[in-house]
Amino acid sequence: MTDDARLKLRALPDDARKLLAPLVETTWRFRAAATVLGAIALWGLTAYYLQLRFGLGRTGLNQPEYWGIYIIDFVFFIGISHAGTLISAILRISKAEWRRSITRSAEFITVLVLGFGAIQPIIDLGRPDRLLNVFLHAQLRSPLLWDVISIGLYFGASTIYLYLPMLPDLAIIRDAGIKAPRFYRFLAAGYRDTPAQRARLERVIGVLAIVVIPIAVSVHTVIGWIFAMTLRPMWHSTIFGPYFVMGAIYSGIAAILIAMVVLRRAYGFHEYFRAVHFDYMGRLLLLFSLLWFYFTFAEYLTAFYGAEPAEMRTFWAKVRGPFAAPFWTMVTCCFVIPLALMCRRATRTPGGTLVAGVAVVIGMWLERFNIVVPTSVNPRFEFESLGHYLPSWVELSILAGTFAGFILLYMVATKFFPIISIWEMREGREASVREVAERVAGYLPPEPVAAD
Amino acid sequence: MPPLAHEPGHLGRRRFILTLGGGLAGLALAESCDVRWPADEAAGPGWAPGLEERLNSTCLVCPSRCGIRGRAVDGRLVGIGGNQLHPLSRGGICPRGAAAVQTLYHPERLRTPLLRVGARGAGRWRSLTPNGALTFLADRLQQLRAAGRPEALAVLAGYCAGSMDAVWRQFLRAFGSPNYVADAYPDGTDAIMAAMHGIPQRPSYDLERAGLVLSFGAPLFEAWWSPLQAYVAFGRPGEERERHPRFIQVDTRFSRTAARAHEWVAVRPRTHAILALGIAYVLIKEERIDADFLARHVAGFDDWLDDRGTLQPGYRSLVLRHYRTEEVSAATGVPIERIVGLAKMVADRGPAVAVCGADVTQAPDGLPAGMAVHSLNVLTGNINRPGGVLFRDEPPLAALPPAALDAMTRRGLARSPVALPAPLGAPNARRLAEEIAATQASPVEVLLLYYANPLASSSDGATWTAALSRVPLVVSFSPFLDETTSQADLVIPDLLPAERWQDGPAPASYPYPVWGIARPLVTSPGGGRSTGDLILALAARLGGTVGASLPYVDFEALLKARARGLYDARRGMPFGDEFETEHQQQMQERGWWLASAPDFEAFWTALVERGGWVDPFYDHTDPTRLARTAGDRIELIPQQLRRQADGAEARDPYRFRTDDDRTADAFPLRLNPYRMSTLASGTVGLAPWLAERPTTFPEVHWIPWVEVHPMTARELGLGDGAMVWVVSIRGRYLAQMKHFAGAARDVVNAPYGLRHPDGTLANPLQLLDGATDPLTDLASWCTTFVRLERA
Amino acid sequence: MPRWGMVIDLDRCTGCAACEVACKSENNIATVAPEQAALGRTISWMRVMAEVEGEFPNNTLRFAPRPCMHCDNPPCVKVCPVEATYISPEGIVGQIYPRCIGCRYCANACPYTVKYFNWYAPTWPESERAHLNPDVSVRPKGVIEKCTFCHHRLQKAREEARAEGRELRESDYQPACAEACPTRAIVFGDLDNPRHRVSELRHDPRAMRLMEDLGTEPKVYYLTPRT
Ligand SMILES: Nc1nc2c(c(=O)[nH]1)N[C@H]1C(S)=C(S)[C@@H](COP(=O)(O)OP(=O)(O)OC[C@H]3O[C@@H](n4cnc5c(=O)[nH]c(N)nc54)[C@H](O)[C@@H]3O)O[C@H]1N2
Ligand SMILES: Nc1nc2c(c(=O)[nH]1)N[C@H]1C(S)=C(S)[C@@H](COP(=O)(O)OP(=O)(O)OC[C@H]3O[C@@H](n4cnc5c(=O)[nH]c(N)nc54)[C@H](O)[C@@H]3O)O[C@H]1N2
Ligand code: SF4
Ligand code: SF4
Ligand code: SF4
Ligand code: SF4
Ligand code: SF4
Ligand SMILES: [Mo]
Repeated sequence: MTDDARLKLRALPDDARKLLAPLVETTWRFRAAATVLGAIALWGLTAYYLQLRFGLGRTGLNQPEYWGIYIIDFVFFIGISHAGTLISAILRISKAEWRRSITRSAEFITVLVLGFGAIQPIIDLGRPDRLLNVFLHAQLRSPLLWDVISIGLYFGASTIYLYLPMLPDLAIIRDAGIKAPRFYRFLAAGYRDTPAQRARLERVIGVLAIVVIPIAVSVHTVIGWIFAMTLRPMWHSTIFGPYFVMGAIYSGIAAILIAMVVLRRAYGFHEYFRAVHFDYMGRLLLLFSLLWFYFTFAEYLTAFYGAEPAEMRTFWAKVRGPFAAPFWTMVTCCFVIPLALMCRRATRTPGGTLVAGVAVVIGMWLERFNIVVPTSVNPRFEFESLGHYLPSWVELSILAGTFAGFILLYMVATKFFPIISIWEMREGREASVREVAERVAGYLPPEPVAAD
Repeated sequence: MPPLAHEPGHLGRRRFILTLGGGLAGLALAESCDVRWPADEAAGPGWAPGLEERLNSTCLVCPSRCGIRGRAVDGRLVGIGGNQLHPLSRGGICPRGAAAVQTLYHPERLRTPLLRVGARGAGRWRSLTPNGALTFLADRLQQLRAAGRPEALAVLAGYCAGSMDAVWRQFLRAFGSPNYVADAYPDGTDAIMAAMHGIPQRPSYDLERAGLVLSFGAPLFEAWWSPLQAYVAFGRPGEERERHPRFIQVDTRFSRTAARAHEWVAVRPRTHAILALGIAYVLIKEERIDADFLARHVAGFDDWLDDRGTLQPGYRSLVLRHYRTEEVSAATGVPIERIVGLAKMVADRGPAVAVCGADVTQAPDGLPAGMAVHSLNVLTGNINRPGGVLFRDEPPLAALPPAALDAMTRRGLARSPVALPAPLGAPNARRLAEEIAATQASPVEVLLLYYANPLASSSDGATWTAALSRVPLVVSFSPFLDETTSQADLVIPDLLPAERWQDGPAPASYPYPVWGIARPLVTSPGGGRSTGDLILALAARLGGTVGASLPYVDFEALLKARARGLYDARRGMPFGDEFETEHQQQMQERGWWLASAPDFEAFWTALVERGGWVDPFYDHTDPTRLARTAGDRIELIPQQLRRQADGAEARDPYRFRTDDDRTADAFPLRLNPYRMSTLASGTVGLAPWLAERPTTFPEVHWIPWVEVHPMTARELGLGDGAMVWVVSIRGRYLAQMKHFAGAARDVVNAPYGLRHPDGTLANPLQLLDGATDPLTDLASWCTTFVRLERA
Repeated sequence: MPRWGMVIDLDRCTGCAACEVACKSENNIATVAPEQAALGRTISWMRVMAEVEGEFPNNTLRFAPRPCMHCDNPPCVKVCPVEATYISPEGIVGQIYPRCIGCRYCANACPYTVKYFNWYAPTWPESERAHLNPDVSVRPKGVIEKCTFCHHRLQKAREEARAEGRELRESDYQPACAEACPTRAIVFGDLDNPRHRVSELRHDPRAMRLMEDLGTEPKVYYLTPRT
């Protein structure tokens, strides 16, 4: 960046200066990482080209193993997408003040990962060229269509929900003039942060936060239903809707934690992501690890107790059959590790939460694997031979490419947008202390007036 | 992939991207190369509705010779279904029959004659015109005659029952050569009948009217003479339970026949005959035998005094002495109650017909073993009775004209054939090869191969390689460059069955004479000439005795001429539906006959349209269909055998060795070769439809496999799907391991005739130990031991 | 209105697989290369499913030739996002190849696993394209296919009957598998027409349907084997 930009940056108030620094400064590490990620993404694209050119035969899929990595990724990424909007909306509505430094980074995860999730089923299509048929011949009875609708809504809502709270910051950048003036002028859309505008903005954000929650819940419920609406053993289960939503939030929290640790280190945001943030998020993670265990236990116990032969084939395949390794790794990653680390304050540190977060992300990916694959290879029809699944290099490349693409885009986003909300920090400093004091006062019986 | 940069230090970014890009491009290329067949989205032939034609014909793929109905659109054969009018198959077909369209359009089939230009087997050929090939061959044959050596012409033919067989014999006879070897699926059953009944003919089995079908290893639902005959008998007889024959399969493995029969009796290898005699023991003990029949028509049941006055033990004594139920149970592995139960069933559920498979006779003591099985039919008197063993006639075709002979022909015919038959056998390909290979100057100068691929199909490929190298001119008529054809000097490809005229008489197993007509369903796009037509043209070209003996313009004319015999016989009928056929049968039973056509032309037209001719009547009262031995009795201890063998064997043919030499440690497993229903003897690669799913169990595709019991395999550390070498003292071949709980613990079930996708043969028969039955000369297929090695 | 259905008599079936190959021939089913087959990508609208049970020498076989069941309440149809699989008024569950987007949801929804996917474009050696049946379209890559009860034959039979000015007879419309079956184990016809054999056979005491408890209402019945 030009020295001019640096000078302008230096002129800004403290928060803005620190938070906008990444927009101006780019380290060689960033470039190196971006290059590597870009290469991986390119590799993934090439793999997809091959698949497009020759057919889905390039995957390891077969009959009856019709769905594999792409559908796992679909569920996984859409799950992660519950990180931002949903969590930030919940925190906002519940007026959790510690949210202020977290929401933006979370919302970015949502919007970006949602896109990467949404393309997975398209990658999985035998005829992506006929995608429009979904609209031309829409058949509303199909849960897939419910999904198209709810993901569409969620994407729209999250994008707005990301954009609107960013307006004041965009205006700050525009006014600071540190970077691409025309771009930010356009994005800031004439926002001047007048008290009236601010009040209107906050009202809209408040409404959006409420609207977005049911949409987010619907998204993962419907994804769960894609499976649950079939008659396949261990898919056909009423718990799948809530189970998927819970899992989605769980993986979302883990993703935010990872992002927080990385951003904190990469951009030196130590003062913004403080011990208390990790402590609180860690508690959330703890809560969800318990929830996860509860749901998983309920799900498996029901199948086991009912002991329907078709279900038991899949059940045993997971518990002590060919899928025992992914299954027990999942249990370790989703329950044992986060529980052990998050139940003690001493390990609810950035390091501890990072380990737990990574474990949960891996575990939740495996959970999707354990839902999709073992059932697929154990068809209900007992004469059907058991399937097998070994993802091909094309699938693995696309998997790697998707992860790389997502991280890359996220990194690039931090170069254009403050990843921690400047105005919310400012507002926190200016207004919240008073507001919280008032609120806390409101919870309590009025202080007795001292008698003379 | 281009090598990655090796300089120490860091990789330049540009360099890195270039390398990566190169790698991707390389990968993309490598990936696109593994598309095996050219990818074509749209299907070639025009999809406009075309001119459609349905014609009846006969399937020539296996000996069953079922009726088929071809559907051609615009001159392309698009499907083969069954012919409802065919009496044996009644509209049904088998997978091989339906897959014949894929053989017809096989990408590797030959359409023009080829003359070798390079070294033998080098694969360098020059195309000849059909006429050029004919001239070339005619010239060489003229030279043989000019040199006074007509007997130096030999023909090795595969299964070609019917007029092709007659034409070859006539051609050679008129030419002056006794060297005709036809591998007409010898299974030894004709030897059994020759020995016991004095009727050297394969028996028929009236499966449909039997109450019990007791099959000793005969693969009724797989590779029998006529799987379709067995299917129809098994599946068709209406809903009434009473008329449903009960199928019991005595087999060493859980074959599909065993699996679908009503009962499977698992026996140890080489003990079928022992079980048969164990059943005989119970029948005799419990006096459930047909004493009246035995007394009137059978010799050798009771003990008798021979010429020298010594008491000879009869069948009864031999069986009672050696086949006590406990001993039989111990030898065969069949529980005692089961043996007694089987005997009861034979007695109660009659007519019970015991069917003997080639697998019983393909053993060192194969002939007596087959006799043991057949003796059950004799004990129950179930010969020449409805639901029993029958001897039916051949269709009364007009004979070819008597061969014209001249002095040279006579001289040639007087020479001894190169391959002499075994006492109760027929000349066979292995003998022929051994004789040719034995001397430096081959007794055969021109060898014609018709439907024969001995390099692949003989159990001794090496001898055949040696033999072929001695023969100056090897001619193959195969439409495919199979192993032997690739070693030939001249290839004059036949047309495929869907393009040519031929006849297909039903196999002997079917109790009624049937003459099916195979006719062109489509015309060959490349022109070409069927071998039948070619031989007739060759005869005309050679002229003289040969020309005079085969005076037909083409094969169609020959068939039509032969059909006159049917017309004149005043019996039988062109194929009709079930009602018409039954009507005709009832009429003939009463001594009437319904003429089906006003004149011969109309008769011929009806034959071609309906697919052939059948005589649905069998004369159960004809005594010549029981025995034609010296005493007109069925001989349980055949005199003929006594003349052939001597010593203890002759007095007691019913003693069997089961202790084959297992070279215990080195070769611990018995090789059990078998033929699948999807394989048509043909050693050409299977049709893709069949190769993709050659058997309904276990899950296998394309790759030749062996079936081994899971425990045995695990002890050897061989997982399901592993590639293994099957090794015997004679050789080895590559196959895929399939764990199969239907295999005995100490055997390797090995389907034969399969090929790997690259065309290499996986042939368990070339592992055989070389043992034969001295009486029939049939190779022994189940005395070889092998071991498995991880490949 | 007819309701087409099938009865397969397991007592007669020998597992010969003539039905499988006849179906492949009739319906232009693509063969896949050997390594593709090893991956489990063979296509067989009709498949003789067999399972060997027990230990030598006491093995038994459970088996059933399995076409599409043409469920009256087909789970596969419900889930298709673009209605590329549908049930006709006469109960035949069909596929619209040019509309299918290849999501394979229907394949997952079918409890009988009768749906097959074209992982690659079908390929035939040049010369073998000659035997393709012009009545049946060849599927492109990326779509689902399955047994159609040979409904192209129904269309043809209808046209012929109409041209001859008569009613459709039972024998006019028979699928390729039923025609080929050497033991006549497969009986096909209108389940609701008392003059068709299927309507009688499906009330046989031996008659059952696969996974009847799922409520899919299959129109393929099996007669259990007698012992
Ligand atoms: N489908 C089909 N039918 C055909 C043919 C074809 O190519 N395809 N070809 C025809 C020809 S050429 C022939 S020769 C015949 C062949 O028909 P068969 O001679 O009957 O030969 P396979 O079918 O090989 O049957 C071998 C059987 O022997 C059993 N067996 C193994 N070991 C022993 C043993 O120790 N003792 C006994 N008794 N049995 C044992 C095996 O389990 C196997 O079932 O089939 C004819 N029919
Ligand atoms: N590997 C292996 N060996 C075997 C057997 C086996 O199944 N597999 N079976 C054994 C038995 S039982 C027997 S009887 C013998 C049989 O062995 P062969 O008599 O050699 O018969 P096939 O192996 O059927 O080979 C016949 C050849 O005929 C050719 N052919 C195919 N169609 C036509 C046609 O329409 N016209 C003409 N003129 N030729 C055609 C093909 O090139 C084929 O290679 O083999 C024995 N050996
Ligand atoms: S049994 Fe033999 S003759 Fe009959 S259809 Fe099958 S291959 Fe052809
Ligand atoms: S064709 Fe008939 S007998 Fe053969 S497998 Fe099919 S249903 Fe069974
Ligand atoms: S069997 Fe499967 S594909 Fe056929 S109709 Fe029923 S659910 Fe659909
Ligand atoms: S694969 Fe095709 S037919 Fe099946 S659900 Fe998807 S779009 Fe419908
Ligand atoms: S009904 Fe037609 S499409 Fe269905 S399995 Fe039978 S032959 Fe194939
Ligand atoms: Mo044979």
